[in-house]
This record gives sequence, structure tokens and C-alpha cells, in this order.
Amino acid sequence: MGADSDEEDFVVYGTPIEREEDTSARKRRAIAEAGQLRALPAWKQEVRDEEGRRRFHGAFTGGYSAGFYNSVGSKEGWTPQTFSSSRKNRAELKKQSIYSFLDEEDIKDMGGNALETSQQYDTFGFTAAEYARKQASKEQKERPSAIPGPIPDELVIPTTNSIGVKLLMKMGWRQGRSIKDSHADSLYESRRNARKAFLALSDVKNDKDQDQIDSDKPSLDQSVVGSFDEMRASGSTPVHVLHPKQDLHGLGYDPFKHAPEFRDRKRLQKSRERDHKRNDVSGRGILLISNSGHYAPGFGIGALEELDVEDEDIYASGFAYEQTEVDIEPSKTSDGNYKLDDRKRGIFLSFKIASNSEYKLERFPSPEIPVDFDGRHKFPPPAQPAEKVSDLAPPEVPPPEDSTLRLLIEGCAAMVARCGKHIEDFYKEKSKTNPQFHFLSGGDGCSYYMRKLWEHQLRYTGQPRPVDVKSKPSSDKLTAENRGRILGERPLDISTKPQNSLSAKEAVQLQSNLIDTFVKPITLDALPESEKPFRNDPAKQARFEQFLKDKYQGGLRTANVAPVSTMSEADRARERLDFEAAAEAIEKGKEKDIKPSSVLPLPGLNDQRFISATQLESSIVPQDERPIYPRREQFEWRPAPILCKRFDIVDPFMGKPMPVQRPRSKIENLIFMTESTMGTKDKEESSSRSSHDASSVAGITEAEAQGTTNDPDVKLSSVQRPVDLYKAIFSDDSDDDTDEIVNHQPVDPVKTSEGANMALNRLAAEDFLESLGKEFGLEVPPERPNVLFRSETLSVAGASVSSQNEKVATTYMEVKENQSSRGMVEVGNANEDAPLANTGKLDLKYEKRERITEENSSRPLHQQNQNHSPDSDSSSERHRSRKRRSHHRTRSRTPESDSSTERHSSRRRKSHSRHRRARSRTPDADSPSDTQHEERKRKEKRRNRAYTPDADSSGHEYKERNKSSSRRSSDKDRSRKHSRHHKHRRKDHAEYS
Amino acid sequence: MSSAAAQHLPRKESRELLGHEGAVLAVRFNRDGNYCLSCGKDRTLRLWNPHTGALVKTYKSHAREVRDVHSSSDNAKLVSCGADRQIFYWDVSTGRVIRKFRGHNSEVNSVKFNEYNAVVVSAGYDRTVRAFDCRSQSSDPIQTIDTFQDSVMSVILTKTEIIAGSVDGTVRTFDIRMGRETVDNLGHPVNCISLSNDSNCLLANCLDSTVRLLDKTTGEMLQEYKGHACKVSLNIILVFFEDVLGVANASFKMDCCLTNDDAYVVGGSENGYIFFWELVDAPVVASFRAHSSVVTSISYHPTKACMLTSSVDGSVRVWN
Repeated sequence: MGADSDEEDFVVYGTPIEREEDTSARKRRAIAEAGQLRALPAWKQEVRDEEGRRRFHGAFTGGYSAGFYNSVGSKEGWTPQTFSSSRKNRAELKKQSIYSFLDEEDIKDMGGNALETSQQYDTFGFTAAEYARKQASKEQKERPSAIPGPIPDELVIPTTNSIGVKLLMKMGWRQGRSIKDSHADSLYESRRNARKAFLALSDVKNDKDQDQIDSDKPSLDQSVVGSFDEMRASGSTPVHVLHPKQDLHGLGYDPFKHAPEFRDRKRLQKSRERDHKRNDVSGRGILLISNSGHYAPGFGIGALEELDVEDEDIYASGFAYEQTEVDIEPSKTSDGNYKLDDRKRGIFLSFKIASNSEYKLERFPSPEIPVDFDGRHKFPPPAQPAEKVSDLAPPEVPPPEDSTLRLLIEGCAAMVARCGKHIEDFYKEKSKTNPQFHFLSGGDGCSYYMRKLWEHQLRYTGQPRPVDVKSKPSSDKLTAENRGRILGERPLDISTKPQNSLSAKEAVQLQSNLIDTFVKPITLDALPESEKPFRNDPAKQARFEQFLKDKYQGGLRTANVAPVSTMSEADRARERLDFEAAAEAIEKGKEKDIKPSSVLPLPGLNDQRFISATQLESSIVPQDERPIYPRREQFEWRPAPILCKRFDIVDPFMGKPMPVQRPRSKIENLIFMTESTMGTKDKEESSSRSSHDASSVAGITEAEAQGTTNDPDVKLSSVQRPVDLYKAIFSDDSDDDTDEIVNHQPVDPVKTSEGANMALNRLAAEDFLESLGKEFGLEVPPERPNVLFRSETLSVAGASVSSQNEKVATTYMEVKENQSSRGMVEVGNANEDAPLANTGKLDLKYEKRERITEENSSRPLHQQNQNHSPDSDSSSERHRSRKRRSHHRTRSRTPESDSSTERHSSRRRKSHSRHRRARSRTPDADSPSDTQHEERKRKEKRRNRAYTPDADSSGHEYKERNKSSSRRSSDKDRSRKHSRHHKHRRKDHAEYS
Repeated sequence: MSSAAAQHLPRKESRELLGHEGAVLAVRFNRDGNYCLSCGKDRTLRLWNPHTGALVKTYKSHAREVRDVHSSSDNAKLVSCGADRQIFYWDVSTGRVIRKFRGHNSEVNSVKFNEYNAVVVSAGYDRTVRAFDCRSQSSDPIQTIDTFQDSVMSVILTKTEIIAGSVDGTVRTFDIRMGRETVDNLGHPVNCISLSNDSNCLLANCLDSTVRLLDKTTGEMLQEYKGHACKVSLNIILVFFEDVLGVANASFKMDCCLTNDDAYVVGGSENGYIFFWELVDAPVVASFRAHSSVVTSISYHPTKACMLTSSVDGSVRVWN
């Protein structure tokens, strides 16, 4: 070692840094890197084990060894569990511990400290209590108890404290003490310790209590045990104590409800009494009591601080309770003792007991009741006796001969009765000179006036009397003048009128003006032109408007209606009457209008007055159409399959998917009209069938003829092949689709169908078919042989077919036979139609499935049908129609089989044949008479039965459909449909499979 | 003729079945008419022999008032419902609750077994009719019909139909065999429905104090029977009895039924009267005061001229 030799020359100071020889290089590196790693972002950090090896590798790092060693350690990465017979080795309960989830490293990290959930750990102490009970029972089993049997176990419930309490106790807290550490003071601490020592020595019993407090098992009946605990407990944190009912109050009655501070007082006193009874005359308890007159209401003072006077002050509530006041049931002896104690103690050093208490209960003699005192209160008589109606009725007097005078008297009487006596005085004074007003001052007609006045008063007071009873007495003083002032009215100024012109008539007018003094304020818009009833007389109209304005203005009517000099009094009166009538008419018109059209805001008086006939009608019509009960409606309702089963009924909807807005789809009825629906219709119309039949046959022939004539066009125009499929699968298209299609139908004439379009359509349709077949998991054979084969079949008209087709056909025929023999009718929705032998193999397959489901569900349906239209010869009818149809089918197809050489043409024909068939399904409707007839019938039906929406709606669209059937398919339509079908296919497939 | 037949109407009180504390809300003969069941506000069901007056058994488990009870055709099971929203499926002999069907969100007004005692159909204040499967362990309904607009007061079952009357004024017939719902709108709240013994007619007790007879197949009204008082709406009764009995949501269904020969319609009145109407012409052939208070339920013996009435006064009376 060269270094050693060198070292001899140097003097070495200090100790060299010791190299950690034991740590491996890797570990050192790991440690060194740890610091660096921590600085790295999370995705760059690497996980290493204690040896510094990388434990986790990516997909391309690590290699075999990493895979081998870093995993469980087998070649496979894990070792499959070996079989063990459950017969020999009964499945034992595997107990998982936390170690099952830890590896050595983790265990090492734990440092040998076993981690386990403690049974005793419980925040709320419930489990702990349970545990303690178990422990106790275990103990009890071990040692036989004094009382045999299970009773003591139930009686004495061992308790434990919750973990929280235990922790607190470990930290020095004791029961009943505040959690808040208020006395951190060391001086205080030492003083307290000293006191504790003193206490310990002072009394045996207290000692016992102390033990009890400090022990981890506080007794349940703490409150019963003694006042001492209680007192200490009350010093701070409330210990749950049981208060036995000891007073004589009613259950639940709390005399200290609103003064809880007295409750403790009371309790203390009670306990002290008890202490006295027990002859436990230790001065300390009393001493405590006297001190704790100042205890704080909240936290703060611990259990043992009572001795210190200084401490008391800290939380002194600032007032001491006077014992005598507090006592609800004062007991003389205890009270005396208490005070004596106080004095002995000399706590209140600077205070003396007052010789005379401040709180002297003063007693007053009861007030003397005056001799004339009456228990009831008598209200003073009303302030205005003038208003009261004289009970005595003046004798009935015949009216004076002078009619003007009579009118005047009556008007005046009404006025006076209305407004009060002062008006009379006013009149009297004003018209002293007027001889006509002599009746007021006892002249001519005075007695009549009195009588009239009485009558009017009676009338006016009679009405408001019940109201007056309720109204405030202050309203008694409200005279007309007051009211006028309150309302800001102008006082009547009669004096403006010339004295001499005061005729009886004018007086009447004045009176009439006053009678309806208050009119309802209605905002009156400017009268429309047509509203003017006096159009020919503009001056009169102006006056009328003025009148209306006055009338509707509300408030007091203006008395000074500018008298037109040219008009006589009589004219004016007549005019006024006219105005009244006109106004009334307007108002009535308004009311009449308001009633029916109360919703609409009033556009103007004009509309209100003149109601158009149509409007009136419309308002009346709903009244006529009041629903007549009972009213019957029917809907489809789906019983749950299990319900059907439990009712022992075949589910009418068995195997049918849930309808999605079934009858609302127009597309169904428009395009996908099929035999089944036709059949339904035939059935339903069976009552008039016999007459109808001939015409329908005629219709068929007609339709056929039309079909043949239209053939060339149709052939070119539409590719109808996928329609059945569409219908079968996508029968519930939403309405918007339908609308689109409907919209497009008339747009697209037959002429637009060109060769190119057709080819495109066909291609799209075929593509679609093929893809659909794949979706269904069916083999779609290449196009050509299928087509050829089909045409062949068609030419032979079902005589010799391939095995598969035959089978399908026979099953189908069987179904048919069954149905006909049972008088079955195909009823149902358009989506379960039964197209006669479909051309496509795929179609056939699908069809078969459909047929089967229909067969299953056809029984109840049939019954339903029978219910509605009992038809005896339905089966024969059915037969006939079917025969007809099949015949027609074969006929329509035979010409096509002639030219089945070329593929293209055959394909075209195929598509066409499909189209033809679709057409031929609705033959009878093509004849116009038939259609009309049907429509009528359908209308009736619709009225009668709203419950067959399918058939009805289909019927509704029936005509439309026939009209548009020949020119239905624009390529635009088709392409859209196609794409949509692609979209929906998956869903529908799922639904149908 | 009618007067002669009317002589046989059960008008004589033969027995009073006392035991219920508080109003009796329903009384039902069992299928053969040998026993009867009553239920009421005291949350119990009681099985009586109405012909001897013996109380056979008391079934206690309901938490609140029991509104309706029905016994299975084999007399082995009971089903009852009430304001505690549950339907109790009882074993008659042991008196134990076999199952409680839950699902109603509110009080259950009426409950019935179906023909084969396999399904229990109940009608509730929650505007639904629910069917429960007695044979499965599940307590959930197998079907819920919620087309009603208002509380469903009464439900009856035929072999293939569920018929329910609702306060929305409709009687709805759910034909399971046809998958059709037939709504007969009567325009007045339907309190109780009852089926004629030939199952062709439907009797609906409406709250306008009218009992209406409907043709079940066509839905046309055949006859109206008036004279009794059943116009106080349920709500008013409700308020009244809330005051008297301190029970919230007390509403009384007032039964009506046909005599076993379908010759007369029997209806109870709010003033405690029982009315008999002749079926065809609808005159009141007999009326007598059966109870001092509202007659809540009437049950007519399936074969004999015997009738049970129950009332709010807590009594069940047997009439011969």
C-alpha cells in the first residue's frame, strides 16, 4: 500500500469520514438518486426496490428476467392453484389479515409493529360497551356469582368509556371536567394538587367518591350516589345523569323552564337536605354549596376548584342568587342552616346580612268596588242622534195634489234621508223665500214629507245596519261632508242657480243627480266612431259624451251640467233618459261580450256592442258539445306477461315488441298497407259486405286493368322491392319521416323515373338487402340464380318449388287453413302484415317468423273482432277474397316469367312484380264508388269507436295512399330512406330478433 | 210483484257484531257467505261468523287503518290493505302475515284476489292500480296501471278483467285477454263499483248521490238510482273525521251492491240509511235507518237474503 507509506509523512488531524462499507454500491446509488428522483416530474420517476433494482418495466424493457423475477416467481408469472378435493379438505374459512396484502418490504417498514384493528376502538363507545359486556359475561362464567341465574347480568350493565373519553383521561382529563385547559398555570396546578391532598385526607366518603370519579368505570347511578359528584359535574361539562322524578309536579312540567339557573339551585338544596338527613355533616359539602353560588354557567371550572376564592372570580357570573328568592318550596331548616353556614364561613367578608330585606312583599288591600258598579260595559249613546231613525212611523198621508210638489217632496226626502239632517236645514235656510219649500218648515205637505222622509230613512238605514254593526264606531261620525272632503269632492253649490228658476222639475233633476252621486269609475276610452248613438246630432253627441264621461269618471257627479238655454226642462229630462238608456245599452253590450270572451282583453266598446255571428256561434258551440256521460273510450293496454300467466290467459301481446307510437305513423298507412290490414277492414265492414263485395270485385278488376295499363311506366318508375322489408322492419318510423315522404309524393311524377335513376335505386336497394341479410345472419345468395329461380316458381305458380320455399309456403298455407277453418281474421297492425308469398328468400324467412307470432296471438284478436263485428260468414268471405287475391297474384306475375332470360330485365321485373303486388293489395279502393262508400263507413266507425286507431287511421289515409301509390318513389326519397334504414337497422334488428 | 219480492229483502236486524273500536270501513262476506270479514280504523281485521255472531279471529298487523279486505276463494288466505300503504297477505288459520306487498305510494283503498288467488290487485290513492303476485317472493308489483287521473277508490276483478273506479270520474276496465283498456267516463267521481252477479252490468256509486248502472259491454248507462246521500265529497268527510277521530286522511268509501238475484240495488247513505232500489225502474222499494252514522260498507250474502252493513259508528250489523 503506497498510501500507507505516504501517510507516514503527514500528520492527520481529526477523524476521517467513515466510509459505509456495508452498504452496497447500488444501494448507495439509490439513496443518492433518491434526492434527484424526487425532483423529477412524476412520469420520469422510477420505482426501485431496496436493492435499487427497477421493479416495474414498460412493455419493451425488462425482458424475460424482469418478467420472471419481478412477478410472483414462476415461469407463467403466477402459479395456478392446485386442485384440492373439497370432500377431504372442507373449505375452511380463510381469514385475511392485513399481512395478506403486504409484502416483506411493507412489513419491514412497519418496523415490527403489528397493525390491527382494535376491537375496542370505537368513537362512540358502542362496540366497546359491547365488548365490555362480553368480557364481563366471560368473567362471570369463570367465577360463579352470588346470585345465580342470568339476572345480574341483565341488571348490572358493565360500561366502558369510549375511546375519546379514554384518551382524554390519559391526557389528564377527568369526568365532569372541562375540556378546555383553563389552568395551565403551574402555580395553580401546585395549589390544586395541595388541595387534592387535603381532600384526600379530609373525608373517607369523599375519598370513595374520588376513587369512583378517577376510576375508569364510572357508576351509572352517579346522580343517585351523591351530591358531591353532582356538584362537581355541574361545574363544567355535563355528565349524563339520571334524574329520578322526586317532585310533585305533573309529568313533563318544568317549573324552571324559563329560569334554568334556578334549577341547579334547587337541586343543590335538595341534595343538601339529603346530606343533612344522612347526618353527613361534613362542612365541606355545605361549604361547596355556598361557594358554588357563583359558579359559571359554562365551561371553565374543574371539579375541584371550589375551594379557592380567587378562582371563583374568574367565571363569576356577576351576581349571586338570593337564596330566599330561589326557593320554590323553601324548607325552613335547610334555609336557616344555610345562612348560618354562610355566616360561619364568613365568605362575604365585607357584607353583612341586612336586617331588613329589600324585597319585602307588599300587600295591598283589594280595591273597593263602588256600589253602583256594573259588570258590563255600557257604550255611550251615539254622538249624532239626528241620524237615528225615529221608530215611530208618521201616519200615512195621501200625497199632495200638485205633482211637482210631490216630486219635490219625495226628492228632498230621499236626499235628506241619504245625507242627513243638515241638508234639510240647509234647504230650509236657502229656500225660505221659496213657497214651494214650505213643507220643510211645516207648511203645505209637511206631513207627507215627514212620512216620505221616514220611509227613505228606513230604507237607507235598513241596508247599512248590518254593516254598521261591524264597522268601527268612528265611522259613525262620518257624514257626507266629511266623506266629501276626504274624497276631495266639490261641495254641491246649489246657490249658483238662479233662485227664481228653481222649479220643481229642476229640483227633481238635482235630486236625480245626487241620487246616483257615486258612480263606478270605469276607464272609458274615447268612443269609437260607430259607438256614437247620436251621430246625426253633434251637439247632442257631445252632451252624451259629457254624460258618459261624468258617468264613468266616478266620484261625485258634477252638478253644474251646463244648461243649454235653448232646451226646455222637459227636453233635457228626455235627453237625459235617452242618455241613460244608451249608456245602459253600451254597458250591456259590454257585459254580454265579456261573458263569452272573458279571456280576451276588451279591444274597444265597438267589439263589445256588436258581436259577430260567428263569434257568437263559436261561443255557443262548446256548450252544445258538452260531453254526454257516460262516455266510452278504448285504448290499447298491455298486461304484463306474468299477469296474464297468473290470470291464466294467453298474453295478447305475446312476442310482440312494445309499440312506439304505433298508430300515429302515417308511413305505415300510406305505403305499407298490407293484406292483414285489408283483411281487418274487410271484416269490419262485413255488415254491408254482400252488396259491397261485388263492387269490390269490380274494383279489383278495375285496378288490375289500371295496373296493366300503367305497367310500362310503373316498371320504370319505382323500385318497390324493399318496401315490404322496410315496412316489416321499420314500421314505426317517426312522423317527420312520413311528412317528408308525403310532401315528396306529389312532387314526383311518373315521368321523372329515368333509367339511370332506376338503376341507382335498384343498386341501392340490393345493397341494402344484402347488408340486411348479413345483419340477420342469413345467407344472401347471389342475385341471379335467386331471381331466376323465383321467376320459375312464379311461373309455375307455387306448384314445384325448392324444398325450402315449399316448406315455407306450406307452413304458410297451414296457417291460412287454420285461420280460415276457425273463421280467423287477420287483425293487427300494419307491421305484422302477411304479404303473400314473398319473393325474396330472406323475406320468406322473415315472414315465417312473423306468421308464427301472428298465429300465436291471433286467437284473442279474433275474439276481439268478433266482439265488434260478429260475422258469421267471415270465413267464406275470407276464402273468397284470398282466392281472388292469389289468383290475381299469379296473373300479375305470369307475364313477367316470359322474359326471364336477361338478368337485368329479370331484376327489373322482380322489382316491378313487387310493386305490382303492393298495388294489387289494395284493389277495391281503386274504384271510386267503393272508396266513397268505404269512407262513409269509416267516418261512422271513427265516430263510434275511437279505439281502433290502427284501422281507422289506416282507413283515413287509405285513399290518399292509393292515389299516390303509383308515383311514390322518387330516388331522393329512396336514398333518404335507405340511409335512415341503415341508421336504424341495428336497433330494429335487436328488437325483432 | 216487486212488492212481494221486496218482502224478502233483509230489513230486520238479526245481529250486531261489536268489537271494532272506531269506524268499521269494510265488511265482506267470504265466498260462500258463512263467514265475514270486517276491518276498520282500529287497525284490525276481524273474522266473524255473522250467523252466530261469534268473533272467530282478530288479525292485527296493520299500522294504520284497514280499508279493505278480501278473502280468497278457498278461504285460506286473506288480503287486506289500508292507510299504511301496504297490502297484507294473511294466512287465515294462523293469523300470520305471509307477505307484505309494497309499491303503493299512498293509502290503498281497495284490494281483491283474482279468480285463482294468484294475483292481488289493489287500488290506491296514488292513482294507480297495482297487481301483485302471490306466488312469488317479491313484494313488488308485477304490473302497475297508472292511467288514472285521481285516486282509485275501488277495484273488482273478473276472470279476465280488472275494473277500477276512480275519483276522476272514470271506470276503467282492463281486459287482459284483449289487451284493451276501456274507459267509461261517468263525469262524476266514482266512489265504489260493484259488479252484477251475471257480470254484465256494472254498478258505480258516484259522489253526486247517484248510483249508476252501466252495461259493461257497451258502456251505456242503463239506470240511475237516486235518493240516498252520498254527495258530501270525500274531502268533507275527511275533514269531519279528522276532527272526530283524529285520523288524517280518513275517507270513507261507501259501498253499493246488487242483491244476489240482481233484482235490487242496495246502497248506503251518509245518514245511516240503507236504500233498496228496484233494478229496472229504479224506484226506492225500501229504505230504513241501519246505523246512526255513515254506512261505509254493504255486503250481500251470495245466496241467502242476508246482508251485512258496517258503519262509522263501529258496528257491523247483520240483516235478514
